Amino acid sequence: MILEAFGVMLLAVIVVLALDRYPRIAAAVAIIASLLPLFALTSWAGIMGISLPSFLAPLEFESSLVYNLGPGTLNLAITPLGWFFLLLLATSFPLALLFASSFVRNRAGGFYAGMLLTMLGSFGVLLARDALTFFLFWEIMSWSILAMVLRGGDRRAIVSYLSFGSLSAMLLLFGFMMLYFKTGTFLFGDMHLDTSLTTLVALSMIVAGLAVKGALMPLHVWAPHVYSRSEEPFVAFLSGGLSKLGYFGMLLFMYGIAGLSLLSSWGTFRDVSYFGYALAVIGAFTAFAGTVLAVMQDDLRKLLAYSSVGQLGYIAIGIGIGTPLALTGALFQALNHTFFKAVLFLAAGAVYYRTGKWKISELGGLGYRMPFTFLAALFAIFALAAIPITSGFAAKWLLYEAAIEKKFLFVTPIMLIAGVGAFLYAYKILYGVFLGEPRYDVKEAPISQLVAMWLLVLPLVIFLIFPGWVADLAAPILSEYGMQPIPHTPYVITTNLAAYNTLAVIFALMGALLVSLILYKWKPQEVVPHEDNYLAGEPPELYEYISMHAASNYYEPFEDVFGPVFRRGAERAWEIILAAAEFLGNGARRLYTGLTQDYSIYILLFFLILVGWWLLW
Amino acid sequence: MVDLIALGEQILLLAGMVTLGFAIGMFFNGFARKVTARIHNRIGPPIYQGYIDVFKLFAKKTNISHGWIFDLAALFSVAGITLAFLFLPVAGFTLLSTEGDIFLILYLLAIPALGFALGAGASGNPNAAVGIMRALILMLAYELPLVMVVVAMMIHYNTTSLATLVQMQSGMHWAIFVPVFFIGAIIVDMALQGMLMEKPFDIAIAPHEIASGPMVEFGGKHLGALMLYKMMAIVVETTLFVDLFLGGGVVLSVSQYGWIAYVVNFLVWFALITLVFFLALLINAVFPRFRIEQALKFYWKYDALAALLILIWVFAGVSI
Repeated sequence: MILEAFGVMLLAVIVVLALDRYPRIAAAVAIIASLLPLFALTSWAGIMGISLPSFLAPLEFESSLVYNLGPGTLNLAITPLGWFFLLLLATSFPLALLFASSFVRNRAGGFYAGMLLTMLGSFGVLLARDALTFFLFWEIMSWSILAMVLRGGDRRAIVSYLSFGSLSAMLLLFGFMMLYFKTGTFLFGDMHLDTSLTTLVALSMIVAGLAVKGALMPLHVWAPHVYSRSEEPFVAFLSGGLSKLGYFGMLLFMYGIAGLSLLSSWGTFRDVSYFGYALAVIGAFTAFAGTVLAVMQDDLRKLLAYSSVGQLGYIAIGIGIGTPLALTGALFQALNHTFFKAVLFLAAGAVYYRTGKWKISELGGLGYRMPFTFLAALFAIFALAAIPITSGFAAKWLLYEAAIEKKFLFVTPIMLIAGVGAFLYAYKILYGVFLGEPRYDVKEAPISQLVAMWLLVLPLVIFLIFPGWVADLAAPILSEYGMQPIPHTPYVITTNLAAYNTLAVIFALMGALLVSLILYKWKPQEVVPHEDNYLAGEPPELYEYISMHAASNYYEPFEDVFGPVFRRGAERAWEIILAAAEFLGNGARRLYTGLTQDYSIYILLFFLILVGWWLLW
Repeated sequence: MVDLIALGEQILLLAGMVTLGFAIGMFFNGFARKVTARIHNRIGPPIYQGYIDVFKLFAKKTNISHGWIFDLAALFSVAGITLAFLFLPVAGFTLLSTEGDIFLILYLLAIPALGFALGAGASGNPNAAVGIMRALILMLAYELPLVMVVVAMMIHYNTTSLATLVQMQSGMHWAIFVPVFFIGAIIVDMALQGMLMEKPFDIAIAPHEIASGPMVEFGGKHLGALMLYKMMAIVVETTLFVDLFLGGGVVLSVSQYGWIAYVVNFLVWFALITLVFFLALLINAVFPRFRIEQALKFYWKYDALAALLILIWVFAGVSI
């Protein structure tokens, strides 16, 4: 069924391209095609030890496939790691398309075609069992992202994506070739790596290439441009789903293929390999700098983009530390981020759909106008800020525990302070967009958009109650790497430092809410429009010339302190490198004047040097 | 049946402790005003003024609201701070603290703050928004030295559970008697000054600049709920300090002395949090207010630098 799934998706691509004039039908076709990965997911649930009722798995997918493609073979098979990440992608993808069905009107066929191709590529990447298949599908995915970026039409986004995308491809290809040179095979199963320097360089190149997609600093430069200049349903899937493929690849190559003992052979520090340590430090820096940059943005999409960069940094920290606890935390964080960031981007899209504005300082007061969008965004923000009434907390908690357990003295405070920084931009979204002075008289978002958002909120609630389920999903992945799963029950996760019981939190919260509800309902209240209080009952028209919405330059004191350090930091660094390359290139170009005399002088000089060198030597 | 009775006892104990916590918080409000007044050479309100205020506000007949998001402030602030209190070890009672740890408490403390911020933002008053902005930046400022010291302690004691930490400090092995954590206690005490929003860090409230900031639109029962939150927050934050450095106020072991130990420990805990709060009040009474970027620079430069020394000490101590 795997090949048929690919075939049907390709067919759907052609069909939606032909249906360019009929956006709704194209959307329906795309959504039906997008269910195939979902059915593949349910059909393969057995390898994770999950038995699903048969109506959830109507199609039977074979668990591995070798297909001869002429010059080479496609080696595809499902692994627990692939299944976990397929869970993230296959569930968020149809919902992003559902959102798009009312959001995308312009050249819709191209949109759905590009989306389906990215999903096709990622489906292949997750199943790939040899380096060439991996690379083939990786490039299908990358180039179809480029097609989607081209739809946005922003030159800076296109150029940065293209240059970093090709850098990523180049690094991956070089890395694969070096591994082939060392081992003589592309098959992941047959790659027995040794501890030579070549392997280290190859692994570093592959991880760096993957880090581009995972938006790790300083390779994140493309992300804010692309995230802020493409259509929201696509960005929701790009940030939520596709960016996880980078971390999927890191887990695959660092722990699946190389293995912990090989990483440790290049030196360890307190039982954490230097390789992993470096990744953890980069991740912590990314988490912090991404957060600070997010606080400074006024464009809602850019804010979410930098927040994405920051949150993805946590996954890198977990992968870097590499203990069972940390890897479970990283997987949990990947799962949470998929859903909450998708909700936030979709909510931003819904807000744009109704108001036509992206700037936070130009929005405001939508909470009462679009209550369901607001509540979905609020849940997502709670998850993002790791407030313990969503599943966001459990993931961060696992990572903190893992870092403390390995005595990461400097990484842990940075992670924690980045977590506090998340409150700042979280509140900026809440206040700037949904609270404050009502400025737009708009309707609630269309039903398809609301359904998409609320279905994405659902996992955040489920895994709040059952954080142990993620540990269950992580167990087969960890056992593939020769690690023990962390001790847990569905509700309680125990580490050797402390325990986290989510039932205690939920019941205590219910009790406390009950108490405060009684206190609150004690006396009746009167609802008045907010002008009645602080404008002393004056009609708001008098104040038309002043905005009462204090959202522009919201964190000005913060920007005064951090701005000089962080604003345009990475981009400036790359620009310096670019300027140096341009300077050298221009210098070299000047030599080619096109005059015969000059060239003859060069030849003469060359001979003089040659003769002089020969004489002296 | 036995299980049910035990559960009932547990719930009664929790409810009793929460009630007691709120009562102590209300007492602290009057206490603070009295102490500040005496330092300023005024007579000040009676020491039970906190109770009068809260009961008056909850008894008001007109309660103005600006809609359901505005009401979230009242709900979330009281519920969230109660939740945070339940997860702290208080005077040798572990309450629910074995089910969570220090990180859970730090994040639970964000629930009332964010709930409060939601309501204040929904009021639409620009002063409230400015106040919240200041409060959040202040939070970012004081959290850095705080988490640095806390992480150093957690690594030194090899636990992240506050209940275990309190247990390890029993028998007067208080963390404050370890020289390096004595410095840590001073650093965290400064962070506590910001947490309690006492001067010089009362930037978010700043009555003279932004008309009490976030509280500006609240009245009646809404203000009453917020006052309850602020009062309970004092108890929670000082207890956090006492649990970290002063052994949670546990001086007698329960296994040896039985119920007398509970009473004595409770009294010692109460004396200690009063002492910690009293120190904060003394600083509060004589200092002027920082600007927000001054506070940020103070915490990130001097406080965090000192905390860095502690981290380095623990770093060296761990590797040897």
